[in-house]
Amino acid sequence: MTSWLRRYDLNPANAAVLIFLWVFFIVFMLYPLGYVFTNAFFTAEGFSLVFMKLMFTSPNYTIILANSVNLGLAVTLFTTLLSLPLALLLVRYNFPGKGLLNGLILIPMVLPPFVGAIGMRQLLARFGSINLLLLEMGVISQPIDWLGGGSFWGVVILEALHLYPIMYLNLAAALANVDPSLEEAAKNMGANSFKLFSTVTFPLMLPGYFAGAVIVFIWAFTDLGAPLVFEYREVVAVQIFNMVTDLHQNPMGYAFVVAVIALTLFFFYLSKRILGGGRYEMLGRGHVASATRSASASMTVIAYGVVLGISALALIPHLGVLLTSVTKRWFLSVLPSDYTFQFYQDVFSHDLALLSIKNSLLLSSLSTIIDVVLGVTIAYLLARKRVPGRGVLDALAMLPLALPGLVLAFGYVAAFSATPLDARVNPVPLLVIAYAVRRLPYMVRAAYAGFQQTSVALEEAAINLGASPMKTLYQITMPLIFANLIAGAVLSFSFAMLEVSDSLILASKEQYYPITKAIYALLGRIADGPYIASAMGTLGLLLLAGSLFIAGRFFGRRMGELFRA
Amino acid sequence: MGSVKFESVSKILGQSRAVNNLTLDIGAEELFFLLGPSGCGKTTTLRLVAGFYTPDEGRILFDGQDQSRVPPHKRNTGMVFQNYALWPHMDVRSNVAYGLKMRHVSEAEKEKRVRHALEIVHMQAYAERMPNQLSGGQQQRVALARALVIEPDVVLLDEPLSNLDAKLRVEMRTQIKDIHRKIGRTMIYVTHDQAEALSMADRIAVMRRGRLVQTGTPHELYTRPESAFVAEFIGGTNLLRGTLEEVGDLLTVKTQAGIVRAKNGVKGMARGEPVFCSVRPESLRLKPAAESSGIPPSDATNELLAEVQSIMYLGDNEQYSLRLADGAIVRAVEYNPTTRKAQVGDRLALQFDTQAVVVLPQEELSD
Repeated sequence: MTSWLRRYDLNPANAAVLIFLWVFFIVFMLYPLGYVFTNAFFTAEGFSLVFMKLMFTSPNYTIILANSVNLGLAVTLFTTLLSLPLALLLVRYNFPGKGLLNGLILIPMVLPPFVGAIGMRQLLARFGSINLLLLEMGVISQPIDWLGGGSFWGVVILEALHLYPIMYLNLAAALANVDPSLEEAAKNMGANSFKLFSTVTFPLMLPGYFAGAVIVFIWAFTDLGAPLVFEYREVVAVQIFNMVTDLHQNPMGYAFVVAVIALTLFFFYLSKRILGGGRYEMLGRGHVASATRSASASMTVIAYGVVLGISALALIPHLGVLLTSVTKRWFLSVLPSDYTFQFYQDVFSHDLALLSIKNSLLLSSLSTIIDVVLGVTIAYLLARKRVPGRGVLDALAMLPLALPGLVLAFGYVAAFSATPLDARVNPVPLLVIAYAVRRLPYMVRAAYAGFQQTSVALEEAAINLGASPMKTLYQITMPLIFANLIAGAVLSFSFAMLEVSDSLILASKEQYYPITKAIYALLGRIADGPYIASAMGTLGLLLLAGSLFIAGRFFGRRMGELFRA
Repeated sequence: MGSVKFESVSKILGQSRAVNNLTLDIGAEELFFLLGPSGCGKTTTLRLVAGFYTPDEGRILFDGQDQSRVPPHKRNTGMVFQNYALWPHMDVRSNVAYGLKMRHVSEAEKEKRVRHALEIVHMQAYAERMPNQLSGGQQQRVALARALVIEPDVVLLDEPLSNLDAKLRVEMRTQIKDIHRKIGRTMIYVTHDQAEALSMADRIAVMRRGRLVQTGTPHELYTRPESAFVAEFIGGTNLLRGTLEEVGDLLTVKTQAGIVRAKNGVKGMARGEPVFCSVRPESLRLKPAAESSGIPPSDATNELLAEVQSIMYLGDNEQYSLRLADGAIVRAVEYNPTTRKAQVGDRLALQFDTQAVVVLPQEELSD
């Protein structure tokens, strides 16, 4: 053995697993991305920047880019405004029921905006509930055109109400990490509360804020569901979705996907390198005096008011879905005039609805199994073994966090067309793999946290007493990290059930439609379509809420860590 | 059964040699200690025996059989981990029975041996408990039972008492020594606590910076240290800096504070060599300077003048800090101090026998 090899724990089994993982990542992540890049830059005549140039010069395309950028910026701004007061209140003050409010804040994050959009549309329509309510109250005399201007603001509001918890998690973590002694020093120098926040606290929070802002921006920039439901078509995501169908005639799709990837990479690079790179690490923590103080009665009222108010706002769209799903008649009235549970029955008798539920259950189960196997294996190698290319493996496993589902799905359709995996022939394999790849980081993180919390000595004790490494894994390690595995698997499963962009792009034939694509298809049908769609959406929400409750029980209060950059 | 032999073993961890060219013979049924400051390589040595590390150079033999490439689960060693490493998802009985299950021992036999092992450590009443329902001392005993029940060729103990409080630690010393006598198996015990090693060991190997410094019985190490490091690390000592003037039956050392003669010294030192004279604090006798004639009372005694710097009263003994003529500080201990011998500022004559002095080569001591 050479000394280079001796530095690693390499036996034939480890090596085989490593090679398998590399092949998986190359085939299902790097190759599709590479394929997209190649097609964006190479025509039959060789290398060409013509599509790139077209994207940035043709007015048709620049308006689309500008819309998406504006959408991203507006959503980021709104989430900041919503989450900054929340973070300040909940990190800095202690009051009764704080844990409960903390949980309440996170709920909207897990409610898919795609479903919420249906309800939102119902509420904000020209003669929707909101306008009717305002008219009745005499606040306005003419219905307000909420969704005017191409529905831009509808999408912004919906996405902001969905994404502010992510911003909140990042801001709260950043705020909690600000050394109280630094603030005390500023107060000692005579800074008032406002100065203190603007000159010391917020600048110190910037790395955390930027990390959150990047996630929110990219999410809004690449979200497909909300713009589709609101029929706001002049954005990059919808354009890419439309261009999937005529990939071979119009290579502009590749160019747009490359633009999305470039933008994503740029922002993540910025957040990791420039702002997140331990700029303030040299500051040791002095005393561990907490900056948290007990809230006065009036402060407690304010905190409850703010949290409950924002949460209520965020739940309105989903309330709309719920109402729509039990509506028998809802015309020119604030609330439905007649209620029915007919549409829930229809979900289970309607061909497409029933089929799509079956499909989703199958697809999500398969993808969850893949996630558990791959996630545990990768986490085990990362936590317990010295393997060559450890850093790269880690980065590849985490890459899907930064990889919009839109990009991945587009890459799959393009790269695997006319192969045995062709999504237009049978999308099942690619759907399963796309779901699995998208949720792999959660599983890896969950399992990795389990390995980290489990002392290596517990495994060594078993080996010392004669258990083979395999037996040790099954009898000692697995039972000890079981809670983490369940939590990770439940999350993977429920998110796969409600995955939007992969499903919309990859599922090409009705017989393979998963739930989300069926909802989208039903929305377009007149008569009872939207009502059945709402009933399905409500069921989806219940599933997700149930799974998150289970995952939360297993994972405890650390679940928020899964959603931070 | 149970002898362990290291043949020129080295283990490289990261950039450094955690264990450097270690040659060591541990006899069957010995209670053998690996002693040294943190980072000296003692735990690495223990893990080499368990097989968690494989040697980069050299061989490790159990009863003459090369074990260097045998994986840990095939070695039949029983290890007690520093943090006990009891599996939190198994009760005490299952923890202890685990090794027997791996060895496919019959149910009846397993039941009997687990009960016996728990009896040895006085934990039979706790078989149904989960580890998190046990105190630190109880967990420690279960860990010991788990290691013993498989009747290992070698029992390995990695600082087993370091997580216990002081009183329990002293109690457990006696218990482990009793257990060793009862079961008659080789035990290798890692510690940085010299009192633990002195009070329990058949033999001790002192390690420093990955190397073996000295091996011997507790008595040999205490009375015949072969280096200033060992003299200082085991028991604590006064090291007087000087130059070797005469070698022969009696060694004569010239120090700044006066001439010191010694009965003992490391072999092979040459005249003119810089040396340390090691004198244990309890070997120093304090006499009022007025009673001193200025010359030692006999050929077998040394005498140096000193001034009392501080006195610490500890009940069963009294510790003096004294300044010699050259400014060096020495410590002296008076046991059973009924009356105070001196006050701070008093000038005293320190008397000590040539038999109590060991001459050692000078070396760097900070580790």
